[in-house]
Amino acid sequence: MEPERKKGVVFSKVTKKGKPKQDLIAYLFVSPFFILFAIFGLFPILFSFYIAFQKWNGITAMEFNGFQNFVFVLKDPIFWKSLSNTIIIGILGTFPQLIVAIFLAYALNSALIKLKGLYRAAIFMPYVTSTVAVAIIFGILFSSQDFGLMNVILGWMGMEPVAWSTTEWGVKIAISVMVFWRWVGYNTIIYLAGIQAIPEELYEAAKIDGATLWQRIRYVTIPMLRHVIIFTVFLSTIGALQLFTEPLVYLGRSFREEGITVVLYLWRDAFVNNAFGTASATAVILFFIILLFTSLNVKLSNRIGK
Amino acid sequence: MKKLLWLGLFVIVLLLTACSSNEETDGDGKVTLDFWVFGSAGYENLAEQYMKENPDVKINVNFTEMNDLHNNLFTSISAGSGAPDLTMIEISQIAKFLEASDKFYNLYDYGASEVKDLYLDWKWKLAESVDGKFLLGLPTDIGPTAMFYRVDVFEEAGLPTDPEEVAELISTWEDYYEVAKIIKEKTGKLMSDSPELVFNSLRDQAPEQYFNENDELIIETSPYVKEAYDFATKMIQEGYVGQNSLWTPEWGNAMAEGSYATLLAPSWMVANIKGNAPDAVGKWAVTNMPEGAGNWGGSYIAIPKESKYPEEAYAFVKWLVSPENQYVSFINNGLFPSAPEVYEKEDFVNFSDEYFGGQNTAEVFAKAAESVKPIYMGKNYAIVNTELVNALINVATNGSDPQKEWDEAVERIKSQLERQ
Repeated sequence: MEPERKKGVVFSKVTKKGKPKQDLIAYLFVSPFFILFAIFGLFPILFSFYIAFQKWNGITAMEFNGFQNFVFVLKDPIFWKSLSNTIIIGILGTFPQLIVAIFLAYALNSALIKLKGLYRAAIFMPYVTSTVAVAIIFGILFSSQDFGLMNVILGWMGMEPVAWSTTEWGVKIAISVMVFWRWVGYNTIIYLAGIQAIPEELYEAAKIDGATLWQRIRYVTIPMLRHVIIFTVFLSTIGALQLFTEPLVYLGRSFREEGITVVLYLWRDAFVNNAFGTASATAVILFFIILLFTSLNVKLSNRIGK
Repeated sequence: MKKLLWLGLFVIVLLLTACSSNEETDGDGKVTLDFWVFGSAGYENLAEQYMKENPDVKINVNFTEMNDLHNNLFTSISAGSGAPDLTMIEISQIAKFLEASDKFYNLYDYGASEVKDLYLDWKWKLAESVDGKFLLGLPTDIGPTAMFYRVDVFEEAGLPTDPEEVAELISTWEDYYEVAKIIKEKTGKLMSDSPELVFNSLRDQAPEQYFNENDELIIETSPYVKEAYDFATKMIQEGYVGQNSLWTPEWGNAMAEGSYATLLAPSWMVANIKGNAPDAVGKWAVTNMPEGAGNWGGSYIAIPKESKYPEEAYAFVKWLVSPENQYVSFINNGLFPSAPEVYEKEDFVNFSDEYFGGQNTAEVFAKAAESVKPIYMGKNYAIVNTELVNALINVATNGSDPQKEWDEAVERIKSQLERQ
């Protein structure tokens, strides 16, 4: 072991001393990404941190106002409402979706199903559908009128029609269903890939030991999928915290309290009301919230992953 | 080593130039004007004609959806790059862009005062700075409001159906309320399907609305907006007004079905009615709004400072919005003219719309246009309006208490205004 390591050190020294040009060329080759990232990624991020401390309407000169923007946002009950909406819709839209996706993936992988390719494509379709189109269609399904499809179905079950677009839970359920429908196929395909990587022998061994279908899912599929599940939970959490298009199209420009999400809240501040300062302050707050959730995720997954 | 540095710089420059847009080169000595438009103004045909008459001017008409156009304009003006030579600006956005008057040419510098008398006074004033020294844009169309009504519903309720008689029957808001009662009793139908339109109509007749000229919120002290709100909520609570939000599919449907009696709306609503209810020929008619008229919509054309050819741009705008061409836009696209001399034209006086049973609808709107009072809207108009409409919709769909909704809306408005 010892001599080999020494060799390596010596070798790297030689390159550094001998060919400094090569390093530079290498940096030059990777530079386009960093230049573009600096212009379109890093600069806007830093700029919004800067604007968060200014009062600015986008056209006239900026005016420094310290932490006032953060005070405005944190004092605003609608901001807290938007945060709780985001989390509730996130939970309603994400958890059932991940669970259903596992079973769908399992079913799609089973030998009993014919025309697998067709089903796989069909289940993935919602993901590639334009979000705006989805939101418009769901807006009609979840119409507040008595003749909206969902209200008709409720009627068959003997229930009163619901004013979907203006009630606390109506709005949240409608948006969550939209999110569910759109993302379930995406997660199913990821799980399907994970399931296909599980060795067949494990199932055979389980069968020989007399495991039922449920036991095979519970003790073979799910544990083997653990890393894939953690991955989807990560993505879904971040996605849920950034929910924007669905509520915007469903609510229109009314930005009703029942369905306003954090990103919608900051977008309204910036691009409807031209208060870029408070919008940036909200973005900064959201940044820390996502950071918090992600580190929670990392902690949990580290524990589960072991 | 040096070579490499140069190479690196070259790459960076290449990337940067790839990001910035190409400068236009007018190789053949022509002046090229980019013109941003929204809606169905039919300006591309007029531009075509102008180019034939002025061969050294080339006009690129660039069509965008209304909200996108204003967002793009805002962004490019804020960034100082990418703005066109000419742009339409909608009336609700004009106050916002007046704030950035240093980013636009003052049309008074190009002789706009000469044409001032051609246009309705209230329309002109809205594009002027408060001190009257700066003019942002020349007026295009307007949206004077009137009362559309269903002839079949009025007939069923045993009421007169002739426009003049209806105007006489419903000459005040008190009458409107009484007629709502009769219609509900006799036919079971609603007076209006939209809380927003009833509220808008009363509000637009008031001499002041949400803000005073110092941009201070006045809805808590000024009586007019609250009166409009109270009237609308009273009608809602007593069951004479439906709960459709504007532009929803249900709203369009109700227009075709005739499930309500009146639609209080501006002149451009004609196109929406025809589109939503193509089979209802002869079932709609239009008459004066009770207690006068308001204005909803219409635009201006402005010249951003980035334009290199303000003179040529101004010459084109002046021509485009001249009474003659406003008349063309009216005949072809239904844009209601803001130049009153058009109202005297022969085809205008003899105008008749088959859809409205051959009625001269233009005359009704012309009368409305001349009775509109100039009001100050302010740059934060939309914030207040959105929240008040939310309050109205809550009263209509959730049956909540109007006063409580009003107070909450005022709270929401204030929390958004203090950030400005």
